[in-house]
Amino acid sequence: MMRFLFIALASLALFASPANAHKLKVFATVKGDHIAGYAFFIGGGRAQGTKWIAKDASGAIVAEGTTDMEGTYDFAPPNPASSDITITVNTQEGHIASAHVAADRLGGTSMHTPQTGSQDNVLQTSPANPAEAKPQLPSTSQLEPMIEAAVQRQVEPLLERIEQMDSHMRFTDIISGIFLIIGLAGIGLWARSRR
Amino acid sequence: MAHIPDGILSAPVLIGGAAVALGGVTLGLRSLSDRAIPRAAILSAAFFTASLISVPVGPSSVHLLLSGLMGIMLGIAIFPAVGVALILQALLFGFGGLTTLGVNTVNIALPGFILAMAIGPIIRSSHSSAMRAGLSALIGALSVLGTGGLVALSLALSAPEYTPVASVLLATYLPLALAEAFVTAAVVGFLSRVQPDALSLATGAAAS
Repeated sequence: MMRFLFIALASLALFASPANAHKLKVFATVKGDHIAGYAFFIGGGRAQGTKWIAKDASGAIVAEGTTDMEGTYDFAPPNPASSDITITVNTQEGHIASAHVAADRLGGTSMHTPQTGSQDNVLQTSPANPAEAKPQLPSTSQLEPMIEAAVQRQVEPLLERIEQMDSHMRFTDIISGIFLIIGLAGIGLWARSRR
Repeated sequence: MAHIPDGILSAPVLIGGAAVALGGVTLGLRSLSDRAIPRAAILSAAFFTASLISVPVGPSSVHLLLSGLMGIMLGIAIFPAVGVALILQALLFGFGGLTTLGVNTVNIALPGFILAMAIGPIIRSSHSSAMRAGLSALIGALSVLGTGGLVALSLALSAPEYTPVASVLLATYLPLALAEAFVTAAVVGFLSRVQPDALSLATGAAAS
């Protein structure tokens, strides 16, 4: 029996590549005035056709819907930056996960402070070549969404990667778990033999 | 699936689950004999690893539970075996949570234990291999469905908005129950041919 179980266990451990896991996670990102993202099982595909619900800090429902075949969702919060928003995905059979979007990631009041700063920088450098710089300088209202979109494009893969790494299972964890159990059995046998 | 995360269940459900789990673990630890300790450890490790292999099914993803097999081979000692594996899964992988440990242990271990207590003696005394395979498949499938029912119940009792929908539950748990039935029948069939001794609870003779 022992040998058979050991073989079974060893083959299980072989199949359990670090990509396979079992936990629902929600990825959320801010795109302009939208919040978009998707629900995924770590290594096990997207949560398709699943209900999602977005609530603000006071618990009021901001938006709700069903994820598409890619597990994605997308909505525009009605009053940006008024409060943090939590997106909860529920597969309706026991898997529930949520993602948190802080208010200052939404283009709101708190975003304006750094943007006035960046405008100052543009004005400070522009005297070096005033004739060219001045007519080409776009207004803040034009610049803002462009910068935001560019930064978002660059940062999004990183955010996704961080989210995945955060929940990545390591082979060492699997091995240490198995050996912890073996160790516990050893402790149990030792404790019994002392009696 | 069977790993309910932190922050969803209400306090009475958590405390109730923890109390039942504590009782089961205590009784299970007392029942462990020298022979049963390595067996419980190996099955615990198998359960710990099996839940890492998950297959996407519909909106969810499922993995083997092995609770029927553990119930047949361990009896009440299924509680400590499941509990230890769940602690490690929560600490190492973030499956489930530490506060829901009790509830999750009960949800997984209790159906396997009860079904194996009810049907296990027939398997051990049976001489027909088809009968043994059929009955152990039944234990495997029913313990999965029992786990699904208990998960649904613990969610329904604490947070009505998270109550699983019956159709979704069936769509994900039914394929799993079938797979579990095959695995349980295969392992029990193999053990009864190679080492029938492994199917009897190792608690009786050596228990103190």
